[in-house]
Amino acid sequence: MSKSPNRLLATVFGAVYLLVGLLGFTATSGVGFFDIKGGLLLGIFEVNVFHNVAHLLIGAALLIAGLSSIRASRTVNIVVGAAYLLLGIVGLFILNSAANILAINSADNVLHFGSAVILLGVGLGADKRARARAHA
Amino acid sequence: MSVITRSWLSFSALGAGVIHLALVISSPLAIGIPLVLLGVAELTWGVLILVKDCLLLPRLAQAGAIAPLLLWSLLTVTATLLPAPQITSSLRFVPMGIATIFGLFIAGVLSVSLRRQTETATETQTETQTDTQTDTSNPMAKPASALKYLSAVIVAGVLVGALTTPALAATQAGTAAIEHGGTMGGMMNIPGMNE
Repeated sequence: MSKSPNRLLATVFGAVYLLVGLLGFTATSGVGFFDIKGGLLLGIFEVNVFHNVAHLLIGAALLIAGLSSIRASRTVNIVVGAAYLLLGIVGLFILNSAANILAINSADNVLHFGSAVILLGVGLGADKRARARAHA
Repeated sequence: MSVITRSWLSFSALGAGVIHLALVISSPLAIGIPLVLLGVAELTWGVLILVKDCLLLPRLAQAGAIAPLLLWSLLTVTATLLPAPQITSSLRFVPMGIATIFGLFIAGVLSVSLRRQTETATETQTETQTDTQTDTSNPMAKPASALKYLSAVIVAGVLVGALTTPALAATQAGTAAIEHGGTMGGMMNIPGMNE
């Protein structure tokens, strides 16, 4: 695993997002599932229950893919990265509206955009030889 | 060029592309159309240099990276001389400034890379003429270890995310974000953001 950037990244990010998802529940007591105003995780990142569940699902997908194979981790890295890129951009437009069902704030947008760039970059740019071997 | 450098270039291009596209919303048609073309070109180039495993159109990319800065400067000078501040009112300082940083980074790295390529080609040509047994492999193309590569990519991702998000927040589309999302302990309180 340590030789594949995609597997390493998926495993590390998966573990971190699972942890963030679990920690999120400590900040969301009294916050509704889709509340547009959530609690603050680590005093910075705003989350509601739906946001926590999303973190748990994404963390689980990344972790399982990272522990499975290079192909799976590349695919999940690219898909999650693209989803985060979309969320990072859309997030700016929905912040002040009822559509903000993830209770996103500016700090979340930084995190989402950074994660998107890293996941997409590694997914698209690394482990080319493994992909070429798989197609051969 | 190493995959790490290519990743940094790609991330910078993605950041600049997203910012230029976000500026389209508040721009008049004459400025909006070049911004759309520029943003789409930057995003496409940023993704393709990762997918294709090589630097595509480096000379054109170099020119494209500094083009926004030149056009912005030209418009600012024109707006000052006429005087007609409405010409540049849609190009807010913070997003344009951050996109320019990305552009200058791309142009700088490409300049160094192209110069090294030329030097390597010249050296190889000279060595081939004198000694046919010389190893001509490019030391810059050595594959990085997974951990080194990931560390470099994560640093780049965090930097690009931390620069791009305030830039997006400073566009007209993102201005509303500040009201709801707070200022992240002052991080989003950049002069010119709420102009």
